[in-house]
Amino acid sequence: MNIQRIAVLMGKDARLGATNFMAVYVLVMPVIISLLIALVFGDLLAQTPRLGIYDPDGSEKFTRPLLDHPSINTTLYDSDAALQSAVERGSEELGLSLPAGFAAALEDDSAEIDFTAYRWGEAGVRNLLLLESALARAMTEGIGTSIDQLPVTVNAEQIGAANTQTWSQRLLPLLLIMAIVLGGLFFPAASLLDEKKNRTLVALTSTPTSLLDVYLSKTLIGFILSGIMGTIILLINSAFAGQVALLLLVIALGGLMSSAFGIVLGSVSKDMDTFLGIIKAVGILLYAPGILKIFPQVPEWIGRLFPTYYLMNPLLEVSQNGAGFAEIALDIAVLALISVALLVLLNSVIGRQQQKLALET
Amino acid sequence: MLSVESLAYTYPEGTEAVRGVDFAIEQGEIFGFLGPSGAGKSTTQKVLIRLLRGFQGQITVLGKPLNEWDDSYYEQVGVAFELPNHYQKLTARENLSLFRTLYSGDTRDPAELLEMVGLAEDANTRLSQFSKGMQMRLNFVRALIHQPDLLFLDEPTTGLDPVNGQKIKEILRQQKEEGRTIFLTTHDMTVADQICDRVAFIVDGKITLIDSPRNLRLQHGQRRVRVEYHKDETSSPAQHAEFPLDGLADSDQFLNILRTNRIETIHTQEATLEDIFIQTTGRSLT
Repeated sequence: MNIQRIAVLMGKDARLGATNFMAVYVLVMPVIISLLIALVFGDLLAQTPRLGIYDPDGSEKFTRPLLDHPSINTTLYDSDAALQSAVERGSEELGLSLPAGFAAALEDDSAEIDFTAYRWGEAGVRNLLLLESALARAMTEGIGTSIDQLPVTVNAEQIGAANTQTWSQRLLPLLLIMAIVLGGLFFPAASLLDEKKNRTLVALTSTPTSLLDVYLSKTLIGFILSGIMGTIILLINSAFAGQVALLLLVIALGGLMSSAFGIVLGSVSKDMDTFLGIIKAVGILLYAPGILKIFPQVPEWIGRLFPTYYLMNPLLEVSQNGAGFAEIALDIAVLALISVALLVLLNSVIGRQQQKLALET
Repeated sequence: MLSVESLAYTYPEGTEAVRGVDFAIEQGEIFGFLGPSGAGKSTTQKVLIRLLRGFQGQITVLGKPLNEWDDSYYEQVGVAFELPNHYQKLTARENLSLFRTLYSGDTRDPAELLEMVGLAEDANTRLSQFSKGMQMRLNFVRALIHQPDLLFLDEPTTGLDPVNGQKIKEILRQQKEEGRTIFLTTHDMTVADQICDRVAFIVDGKITLIDSPRNLRLQHGQRRVRVEYHKDETSSPAQHAEFPLDGLADSDQFLNILRTNRIETIHTQEATLEDIFIQTTGRSLT
């Protein structure tokens, strides 16, 4: 093994891979889908919390600070029914239906204030916290006293599905698998198949470069691409959160597993058509855990039957539920075990490839 | 430089491709390995370039048993394959530059090598736009980039026009003059005859004959002269006659033909390498 030669080969592969349509397509596709999902479901362009208010008095004493608030989008509605409808379809994350005489009651320290707040079922915790904070401040500013001294009764009512997972959160597992697994798998396999097709593999191994150098360079480039793609997808989906070091560890193991699998597939495939045929056949097994996650009612144990579950689950646990190492240790152990098994298989494949090279030349 | 003793190789499926081959090559020698398809010459070359492992027999290259060499073997050995194998999306210069970086020793300037085989003007052209002949020329010079002591060349003139074929032969002679040893696998007897110091005929995995082309011609050729002539100035059909080379000056019949007829051709009846091959092996080269 020679590090300098491996670096040279990686540079060559990166350059040639950039002109490989399929490799580029596989890398760009998850990013485009992520951006589209963010655009359609509003997570990217509409991060601002959305507040709807129905105020029958039309008094601006309470609503003006909210309408002028730079960090929230506030819309006034003509009726309680219109407000409920807006919350139901998700146009507003929180809807305040104020009673008649609300502004006057605010100024009267002794008056009981009673109003209804509609919460959209899929509203994110972050936005709800921001909205609640803005509301408390508006009330305090309106009456000149602290909110906790007010005799306020809030009738909270949830509208929409109880599940608080947004569509972008539900699709994130699938996107992560596409980015990390396909990104890591496709590039080394396509590159190796190109070498076989053009007989450059035997040309390389007739220099001081060993077959191990060639395979390592391709595995490494798949590993790096996989890591970059996984990180990008997490960032685009605002999921690069929690213990970043743990996320990077899982992405690294996932990248290793994917690129090792890719190079093994590239070795055993006769040509690109065979490889694509295999991917079509086993693709569903790779994607399955991501597809199952779209439907929360599907039992979790089914996902555990697929290897990519052990990449996807710890990433979600860390980024969405704030899990630590202890909670995901088992998943990491399984992922590491799969990666080691693939590396052992790769070692055996390299030996066979040497023999095949001689026969095919 | 290279010695092979009792080399045998059997493919995993059981085909005995090489069966007890012995030969040795001296430094600075061009050694031609000739034989028809399936004779075992490619297998022998694959063993010698360490592409095929698990052979039987003893092979010593550059003073060391072949089994003891690691990948540093290729720092001193250059290999050119029968079929072009380049990165089609890279230019000729980029291909050579890439391979240049894989060697740790001194290497030659790609521009100089491209100039050598008449590809200087196409240095920045992608290989996908090269003809087979151009790719073959690049194949050939790529094997020279690290100035190896020993060259293994498989059909280096295949697919080349006569001018470029001649150019390659001149470069090979020049490499020999610089002290390099060349192991040439070919079925082109003319090329072998023109540039090889010695040739080996291999048939059915065994070497049947090893000698210099000149010696082979002398041993196997007929010492006769063939004359083609016309009896008069008209366009009558050409006549021919053959005479022993020994005592030719005393042959009245031969001298009479020369004096009284219009001579078209006179040739000694030397055997070609192909004739000798067929004569000694009973097989043709195709």
